[in-house]
Amino acid sequence: MRTNADQLVELAVCGEVWPPTGANTQYKATSEGKSTVTLGMAGICYSARVGDPAFGWEADHLEPGASVRNRLNGPEHALHYLACMGNQAVVTSGSAQGAVGTVTGEHAHILVDFEPDVLDLLAIGDRIQIHALGTGLCLLDHPDVRLHKCSPRLLDALRLEARPDGTLAVPVVAEIPSYLMGSGAELMADYVDQDFMSNDRAEIARYGLDKLRLGDIVAVRDQDHSWGRGYYSGAITIGLIIHGDSAWTGHGPGVLDLLASRGPAIVPVPDPDANIAWRMGIRERGAVANALPVSSYAIYG
Amino acid sequence: MPSDNRSQLITVGVQGNVSSPEYPSLPASPYEIGADGQPELRPSPGGIVYNVKVGDSAFGWLADMVQPGAGIRNPQDGPNHALNILSCIGNEAVVVSGRALGARGTVTGKSGRFAEHVIVNFPREVLEKLAIEDRVLVRAHGRGLALTGHPDVQLKSLSPRLLDALETRETADKLHVPVAAEVPAVLLGAGSGLLNESGAVSIQTDHAETVREHGLDRLRLGDIVALRDYDSRWGHGYRRGSVAIGVVAFGDSRRAGHGPGVTVIMSALHGRIEPVIVAERNIATLLGLSVPLAAAV
Repeated sequence: MRTNADQLVELAVCGEVWPPTGANTQYKATSEGKSTVTLGMAGICYSARVGDPAFGWEADHLEPGASVRNRLNGPEHALHYLACMGNQAVVTSGSAQGAVGTVTGEHAHILVDFEPDVLDLLAIGDRIQIHALGTGLCLLDHPDVRLHKCSPRLLDALRLEARPDGTLAVPVVAEIPSYLMGSGAELMADYVDQDFMSNDRAEIARYGLDKLRLGDIVAVRDQDHSWGRGYYSGAITIGLIIHGDSAWTGHGPGVLDLLASRGPAIVPVPDPDANIAWRMGIRERGAVANALPVSSYAIYG
Repeated sequence: MPSDNRSQLITVGVQGNVSSPEYPSLPASPYEIGADGQPELRPSPGGIVYNVKVGDSAFGWLADMVQPGAGIRNPQDGPNHALNILSCIGNEAVVVSGRALGARGTVTGKSGRFAEHVIVNFPREVLEKLAIEDRVLVRAHGRGLALTGHPDVQLKSLSPRLLDALETRETADKLHVPVAAEVPAVLLGAGSGLLNESGAVSIQTDHAETVREHGLDRLRLGDIVALRDYDSRWGHGYRRGSVAIGVVAFGDSRRAGHGPGVTVIMSALHGRIEPVIVAERNIATLLGLSVPLAAAV
């Protein structure tokens, strides 16, 4: 796969492990109109890593691993726009100084996977520096495909295949129908993610989406995420599952945009193993958590 | 006409200032990037729009998400949330400062995320006297409105005045609502995941052919529309069999995921709301607002 990787600049962006936050009115309404106090975002998550199930946790928008943010507005946006999936992240302060992890998501925070023994040494406020590399990456033989937040390392893990007809075959675990794309439609494709809507529990089960894992590669048909995120008949978007399920209407696991084409330049190919956890050598396939029972908020009536 | 609990509702004053269009400071660029990746510079939403009003086409204006009339916003976040949450479509608005002091208008919609405006219709001669930062008081009335026979039809942003004008018809288990058009869930974009207490959900217009197939290219600002397979009882999101009813509050956009915005006024599961498509259904006529101008190109 020919790319312009040689022309990319690798540069440092940084933040700190950010604390979970609460509010005076911590309760939120679920899609069933029940009140719930949610947890799952920010901080250090000891229970879930990339490769583990996206559903079943008693949590909302679960962010696996360590959540990183910069307290200054400008550098914070640099984190958002420059950190790419698969980039190296180095702990530069505290007891875990020098430990290396992998960027696996961009949500409200940058999500970094570390080995459990590193997580045990991490403290909130520890500084994390990311070797940002991937912004501007292009597939030279596929000019109709726009890349977002793909590091060269991630690109290898995607196992793309150029077909004789000029299309690009991409292995994916599942396909999400266009009408299930929800919160995040208002944003540009290079900022954070777009949830697929899980509140219609019967509907997501029909497509096997309730079995998805953090780190899975998915396809979304008839959605053009080249620049913004919207319905466009015939377009294809390839995404990465970065955070867990949600109880709120219009939300669900997060899909971070990786590849997009306005026309049929991308061909999704079913592959149950298309997950960055093992494809990037972060985790052993056999060592991940089993599927969990259904979250309490996903049981209606 | 269905009976309801309006006698128990309070009317409360909430207030905002006439807003101004805004652009980011340098070195940021003012362009909106279209769904096709092309940048354009267009008037951003808000301010005082003199020549677009409810009843006009939602399409064809060279502006991003044009708000017909005056967009108002409170400069403080807490009071602005109250303004946006408590204002209902059909509520009376009164100018309480400046040259148009005492002039009255009508709330016709709410803008989406990032703008956070309440949109108010005023007669043209009032718009001519309005100044940015003039204060506008909304007599907010309708929060908590519920239909006695249909407790599972959730009402939001709906004034008793507009409810009466909707001319709904009830049968034992359904509420029949006349609408100008129906929007399929696949065309609903920006707004999904946000709460329905204020704001709007946008009809995605990037794929013009699909928009035309559903007759939505004829939509006008102020039209009453039904959203199919869409649940807006709490937040906005897909739910098979649900129907929401809303008012087209602001105009089209070139951005992916965006387009004319619909402020939702009713939402229910399981087919409790039955939309009935009629030739014309627009709040300009239903509420007796100013006569519509000719549609844009």
